[in-house]
Amino acid sequence: MLLKLENIYKWVNQGGNRTFLLKHLDLEIDEGEFVSVMGPSGSGKSTLLNVIGLLDGFDEGDYYFQGEAVHQMRDKERARLQKEHIGFIFQAYHLIDELTVYENIETPLLYQKVKSSERKALVGDILDRFNIVGKKDLFPSQLSGGQQQLVGVARALISRPKILLADEPTGNLNSRQSREIMELFKELNREGMTIVQATHSEFNASYGTRILHLLDGSWTDTPEL
Amino acid sequence: MIRNYFITAWRSLRKRRTTSLINLLGLTIGFACAVLIYLFVSHHLGFDDFHTDADRIYRLNTDEETDYIEYEGSVPPGMANEIRNEFTFSEAVARYADWQEDVLAVERDGATQKYRETLAFVEPEFLEIFNFPVRGGTPDALEAPNLAFITEEVAMRLFGRRDAIGETFVLGNTETIRVAGILDPLPEKSLFDREILVSFPTLKVYSEWVTSDSFRGITSMLQTFVRVRPGTDPAAVEAQLAALPGKYRPDSKNIHHYRLQPLLDIHLGGLYPGGIQERILWIVSLIGFLVLLLACINFINITTAQSLNRSREVGVRKVLGCGRHQLLRQFLSEVFLLSLFALVAGLLTAWLALPYFNDITGLSLGFESLVNPGSILFMLGILVLVTLLAGFYPGVVLGRIPPVLALKRKLTQRDSGGLRTRQVLVTLQFTISIGLIIATLVVGRQLRYAVESDLGYDTSVLMLPIPSDLEPRQLESLKARLSNHSAISQVSSCFASPGAPNNIWGTSVRYNSRPEVEEFAIDVKVADRDYLGTFGLDLVAGRNFFEKRDTVDEVLVNRTFARMVGAESPEAVLGKEIAVGGKYVRGRIVGVVEDFHDSDFTSRINPVFIAPEPGNYGEFAVKLQAGRLREGIAHLEKTWTGAFPDLLFEYEFVDERVAQQYATETQFLTLGKLFSLLAIGIGCLGIYGLVSFFVAQKTKEIGIRKVLGGSVTDILALFTREFIGLVVVAGAIAIPLTAFLMESWLQNYQYRTPLEWWVFALATAAVLLITLAIIVLKGSKAAWSNPVKSLRTE
Repeated sequence: MLLKLENIYKWVNQGGNRTFLLKHLDLEIDEGEFVSVMGPSGSGKSTLLNVIGLLDGFDEGDYYFQGEAVHQMRDKERARLQKEHIGFIFQAYHLIDELTVYENIETPLLYQKVKSSERKALVGDILDRFNIVGKKDLFPSQLSGGQQQLVGVARALISRPKILLADEPTGNLNSRQSREIMELFKELNREGMTIVQATHSEFNASYGTRILHLLDGSWTDTPEL
Repeated sequence: MIRNYFITAWRSLRKRRTTSLINLLGLTIGFACAVLIYLFVSHHLGFDDFHTDADRIYRLNTDEETDYIEYEGSVPPGMANEIRNEFTFSEAVARYADWQEDVLAVERDGATQKYRETLAFVEPEFLEIFNFPVRGGTPDALEAPNLAFITEEVAMRLFGRRDAIGETFVLGNTETIRVAGILDPLPEKSLFDREILVSFPTLKVYSEWVTSDSFRGITSMLQTFVRVRPGTDPAAVEAQLAALPGKYRPDSKNIHHYRLQPLLDIHLGGLYPGGIQERILWIVSLIGFLVLLLACINFINITTAQSLNRSREVGVRKVLGCGRHQLLRQFLSEVFLLSLFALVAGLLTAWLALPYFNDITGLSLGFESLVNPGSILFMLGILVLVTLLAGFYPGVVLGRIPPVLALKRKLTQRDSGGLRTRQVLVTLQFTISIGLIIATLVVGRQLRYAVESDLGYDTSVLMLPIPSDLEPRQLESLKARLSNHSAISQVSSCFASPGAPNNIWGTSVRYNSRPEVEEFAIDVKVADRDYLGTFGLDLVAGRNFFEKRDTVDEVLVNRTFARMVGAESPEAVLGKEIAVGGKYVRGRIVGVVEDFHDSDFTSRINPVFIAPEPGNYGEFAVKLQAGRLREGIAHLEKTWTGAFPDLLFEYEFVDERVAQQYATETQFLTLGKLFSLLAIGIGCLGIYGLVSFFVAQKTKEIGIRKVLGGSVTDILALFTREFIGLVVVAGAIAIPLTAFLMESWLQNYQYRTPLEWWVFALATAAVLLITLAIIVLKGSKAAWSNPVKSLRTE
């Protein structure tokens, strides 16, 4: 088992009322799974992904990552866990505008203090694999949306994470570009990468090996579409 | 990694071009100021520290105690020999008599060349105590009269060759002096800048008293230096010297206390005459620091205000595993890079401004002073300081931003470092600006008051030096010839002008046959009977004196004298006897003149007497007809050069001398104005940056308000409200603070302008107005813009 959430609660207090973002949520994910999380806007998909990805905390419940109790960890350990084991992909790509394609992909390695020669090799490999060697010196603004997301995926993979978290990865893409990204995910999954994606799209969700439905912060068996 | 930091830094600076430019400009000004002020301050530190055993060299000073204490950088002429003969604490003692300027005549190629040179008379030990390397000749040569040591530069100027030993020149038309030695170029940072050192016995011809062993009085032209034996306690020496006044001046009401002042302390003065007041260095350093601080605050304000724009990048980096420290380091390298550019630009600015700066400060700094190790170390220091000062807080703020919010762009003001912090910083900026403006205005007003006030005498009078060897009869005939022109109203021969004199002479006085001399010193103004008319001095009682007769002198005093001897009215002192300086002048008071400012505005009006004494006239005072200056001066020059073909014709107006008394203050004021302007300039940049940011942030709000019917003025009011409050708070802080500081500065002056409320109001209003102007300039564009456009961007 890669990770396990038990009875997770997350809430915000607004004007004296407590609004639950996640409520009594359990989840187990094995290595090699490709989980699609579906649900309407505001159902908590992004929040869940942020919690799994350690970008955001939670108010109650237990979280184990590779058997380690995340809820008992200190900030520093959590930051290390995130840096080494989790890759993120965003709807808005979130590439750094001031950096070239090459530098964007290289950045996570810098933060992990990987040596220069090794960085060069790793980035070179992935550029090669994604067929974007020719674009390595371009800036994000010079790329199409699909290409930007491709860079986003490459960047998420560069540090060889245990799990890839994708929040609406194709939300800003047209259908052809979407399909390409999904095919890529499928291939990555086949190679053993664990993936969790949040999506609106039934079609995209169908790439997953397991589909979960979220409504108002809890799992539901009857998906509302 | 570092390389990556700098690449990112460079690109993000380029991306936010306007902001970077504003920050760059502000920091450039800050650095330029800091560098210039560093040069100024460091120039004044470490004077005379190049002498071996500088820590064992002292100047002998006197605290003269009468009804108050006067601190003099001098001791009676007899002190040097007293120490030589009677005491064991000294290794060497030397007298140094400053002669300022005189005319030197050199026979060269069969013609007489004349030069104006400054010089000093020194005893041979002077070259033993101080390290002024000698090229040729031995210091012992200075024991005999009519010998001199000169620097190579002077040798080149006078004789056209370096090795001028054996050459002669004529000093002041009388004494032929032979060059006995050559000195290396004098170090710049030294108390001693006279390049011609004449043997001390030569001085006897000009002033026997200064070369004597007298303890009767002191003169500021004579300084005495001593190198004590190792391990000597200066306090013990002072205790030994304390017996001397009782031995040599038992009856004097002017009680001397002799002090040892370390050589290294002399330049920074303290109570005694020196190069510059230490306080000025502190104030100037403070101003430099404030200007630099302003630039940093600008940077912090603009950067934190804009951190909202950078939050996405920060969010992404955090998601990619960037820690807070790494983020801070990245941000600091960005600030460092910008600061580095600013430093280079500031250095360039400072270099370009150097001639102007030298002009103001009277220094002669060159490019080499910018690149010496000390300066470079200082620059690296402020580079690091500014990087940390300006970069640390914004860096921490950026690092604190929660990544999830940052990616969603759901940040509030709080996340971007807080509105409050920014308000405090802007208020601080306003406070500094207002404070500097007030200080500049107050100092400016006081100086104008000092120079332009009615000093009680006519300052348009021209002063002409009288050659020292003129017989009284020759002097009278020359005076008659000088007066003999319709453009000349009146001429007086005198010792010095009533105020701003070149020579100050105070001495003891005994009034009305009282058994004791009075407890104050009287200011000597010997002059002929035309003195009152020439300078427009008014008599309040009695009459003018007639010229000196053999039996008894007729003497004038001023109103203050009458008051200080306890007379009920000026008339009460008429007919009373007066004896000045022992037997120097004895006579009867025949008139009392209205008080005039015999000294600058930092001193009270002294008791003064005026009496004729033809042997002591040093200057002609010439009152010219208004509007006929040129004609009058031409006549003076013709008459003068006719009488003295060998002397240079030189004159000075009294009002120039009055202004000269405040040279340091004026210099200081010019610097103050300059730096206030720069501080305000930096402040403006900061406000501009902030307003731009607010405008950008409120574009949507403006759009909505316009759709709802808000007018352009309503919208401008939106911005102004925020800033007006801050200026008012800043004024409330700055006004009492500067009022206190300026009040204590004004205490230096016995005659001063009051602190007027409008000065404070004006300073605050000026800052307010500038702020409003910037807001209108920048905000009206946003306010006029079409709301459809601004709303569509959402």
